[in-house]
Amino acid sequence: MRQIQIAALVSVPLLLGIGLTAGAQDFSGGPDIQTLEDRLDNDSTAFNARVQQRPDDDLLELGRLVAMGGAANGGSGMACITCHGTDGHGDGSGAFPRLDGQPGWYLYKQLVDYANGARPNKVMSPIADRLTEHEMEAVAAYYGAMPTGTIPKHGEVPGTELQWGGQLSAVGSAEKGIPACVNCHGANGTGLAPSVPYLAGQYASYMELQLQLWKDGVRDNDAMNVMSSIARKMNENDMRAVSEYLSRVTTEEAQTGPDLAVSE
Amino acid sequence: MVTQLPKTDVVIVGAGWSGLAAAYELANAGQRCVVLERGKWRHTVTSFGAPEEHDELKYARRKEHMIDTPIKTLSFRNNSSETALPMRRLGSFLPGKGLGGAGIHWNGQLWRPLPSDLNMASHYSDRYGEEILNGLSVQDWGVSYDELEPHLDFFEKVCGTSGFAGNLNGDTVEGGNIFEGPRSDNYPTQPMNSSPPQQMFRNTARQMGYHPFQMPSANVTEAYENPYGAQLHSCTYCGFCERFGCGYMAKADPIICIYDVLKNHENFELRTEAHVLRVEKSADGKTATGVTYIDADGREVFQPADTICLNAYALWNVHLMLVSGLATPYDPLTGTGTVGRNYSYQTIAAASVFFDKEVWSNPFMGAGAMGVTIDDFNGDNFDHTDLGFVGGGYISATQTNGRPINYNPTPPGTPAWGREWKRAVRDNYLHHIGLTVHGSSVSVPQNYLDLDPTYVDDYGQPLLRMTFDFPENDRRMSSYVLSKAEEIGRNMDHVVDVGTVNRAAEGARYSVVPYQTTHNVGGAVMGTDPTTSVVNRYGQMWDHHNVFVFGACLFPQNLGYNPTGPLMGLAYWTLEHMKSDYLGNPRPLMDA
Repeated sequence: MRQIQIAALVSVPLLLGIGLTAGAQDFSGGPDIQTLEDRLDNDSTAFNARVQQRPDDDLLELGRLVAMGGAANGGSGMACITCHGTDGHGDGSGAFPRLDGQPGWYLYKQLVDYANGARPNKVMSPIADRLTEHEMEAVAAYYGAMPTGTIPKHGEVPGTELQWGGQLSAVGSAEKGIPACVNCHGANGTGLAPSVPYLAGQYASYMELQLQLWKDGVRDNDAMNVMSSIARKMNENDMRAVSEYLSRVTTEEAQTGPDLAVSE
Repeated sequence: MVTQLPKTDVVIVGAGWSGLAAAYELANAGQRCVVLERGKWRHTVTSFGAPEEHDELKYARRKEHMIDTPIKTLSFRNNSSETALPMRRLGSFLPGKGLGGAGIHWNGQLWRPLPSDLNMASHYSDRYGEEILNGLSVQDWGVSYDELEPHLDFFEKVCGTSGFAGNLNGDTVEGGNIFEGPRSDNYPTQPMNSSPPQQMFRNTARQMGYHPFQMPSANVTEAYENPYGAQLHSCTYCGFCERFGCGYMAKADPIICIYDVLKNHENFELRTEAHVLRVEKSADGKTATGVTYIDADGREVFQPADTICLNAYALWNVHLMLVSGLATPYDPLTGTGTVGRNYSYQTIAAASVFFDKEVWSNPFMGAGAMGVTIDDFNGDNFDHTDLGFVGGGYISATQTNGRPINYNPTPPGTPAWGREWKRAVRDNYLHHIGLTVHGSSVSVPQNYLDLDPTYVDDYGQPLLRMTFDFPENDRRMSSYVLSKAEEIGRNMDHVVDVGTVNRAAEGARYSVVPYQTTHNVGGAVMGTDPTTSVVNRYGQMWDHHNVFVFGACLFPQNLGYNPTGPLMGLAYWTLEHMKSDYLGNPRPLMDA
């Protein structure tokens, strides 16, 4: 138990943004538009990226522009890449989620919810509020079309904690009435486009904070209102364990996107 | 060598909805309860999680959650001139197995009976004259809607049922089911969402003068705590209710709703893998002394008890009575005896509505009880004069699933296989809705259950034998209500084609092969006359006062609704009378 508390303390300075400089301001990185467009030849990648329409190069170009902080409408006022990186991997701090390969429709809905207050956030809400609907769609498709990769993991976590997190993820807890994460987030936590985000390989501290926000009722923006009732049954140890576990899950699927057979 | 165990207060056969409800109520009333379950222990959270649970081949086709026929089955024939043969594969109906019973793989369509359903014989006789019931063995249940109402209400709260009331304390509420009996309270959670075709069904039905409403559903729509303190989550419309357990904790089931809040009670003991062979009778035959079962290690065990509750599946309850010699078996030749009498089923038909590409159903988003329904042709909600039948059914635009193997709707005239079939499935998968006609089933003297003279099971006990075909009454009823469903379908916008299927069509014999519904009822019916019922109006056996019977085997005939709501209302009614009137002073609660 003592070790678990230490792990929590380690993550605090990271949340405060100490790692902010790691690669976040590099505008030259990230995939070029042609690479992303080529990826859309794969139906499952295109499905993962789409919001309203199957994305095309114009939409991806606009998305890239928004990500870089510009747009016709004056833009968001802040470049996405500042915190989320040109490759969508975040800035390494764990305060900002990675976006690469996250379902486009999910990302779009989060922007809408940041703007309308369903998912209030002091940083993201003003940014989203300045984007047009089309710019939200574009930047969501842009990140949704990106290849995913692995990111460095933070800190040491006791094996028993990872084991408990793995159990919560895979089978839940009958005793606590917590359904397994994989019910909705996919067998390996790799998400289910268009509406369910991946958790595998996401930053642990980000996921832990989100669970707390669900539990506190601050975040309440899932369509069927399931996350708050799940989070309310979790204590801090549960949240940390499942977040640490899922942040360490890397599968081939997580790196290539879900294997979805989709025909238009 | 039979192992005799220490006596317990109550032994309960079966750990499904009614068995666990009985255990909860009686354990909390100070009774030491032993629950015997044939199947294995399992848990909603750890056993039914997606995506593993969403394995259609394993659970829906190979039926992993259903009874294994080598362990328990029956023999079947259409009429008494035939020789019955064992049902070696599941088909028409799917009894459950394991902790939670069929309450795990149900759809969650949770109804109340109409007031007139419960006094069907006297109601029809009063309104149309006695001759309308000629040839039928329809009878009153012996319990009224008003008596059951608090118990129906309680079970809806146990399940966190979603819905929209149509009759609150006698006041009609537009948008609900205006035909339902007076409700003392609204549904505990909000009604479900509906898909575009369901909304079109609602609009068309309303334009035609009918009264559409959202089907009451145990697929819960918001986070909910039931009266026992159990927690349910909201439904994600994943489309895997029917034949599956719900690892989301969104479909009410006996494990999360009851077992979890009961399992640590000092008066509760669950024994799984306990195959009950028979109920033992006392020397004078007036009471039962306990039950004999084969335990998980294959030993024969006698569990003595003061009170015996039979909470197995409807058919298996009847089988247990027959092999135990409880009460008198029904004899169709003389019309005497009661056990096995008044077996009835459910009369299922459907209209299949195909839209053009403007209307999207997205059937992969569904839920077991996601339905928009009309009750205008159910029960006696419409004038039966000169129709030639009694009873009726609800018509419901349901969207339960879009499973890849099962759900492949094709318009009439499509070949059953090959390129044209595949093209039709592709074209129609997203643009279709089924209109279910869920019809009642009358009891008639020639349909019944008894013991098979030839076939025995692994334990050397004769199989239950089912003799059943659709009564002419129900064929006429089904054809009539189906024509109304078809008419609504044709009146909807953007409709390209409407197909129909009717298992009870004129000339078609009932078959145990194609799936229809698991709603087998009757065979140990309740009533106020011991010559036509096995149990009295409290669910207590006339012949053995310490044996209480639960479940759909009590229904004297089947109503047009899914049975879980009515049978659980009856269960809580019986339990209330056991607690308040029987246990302190065991005796027959009614004079025979």
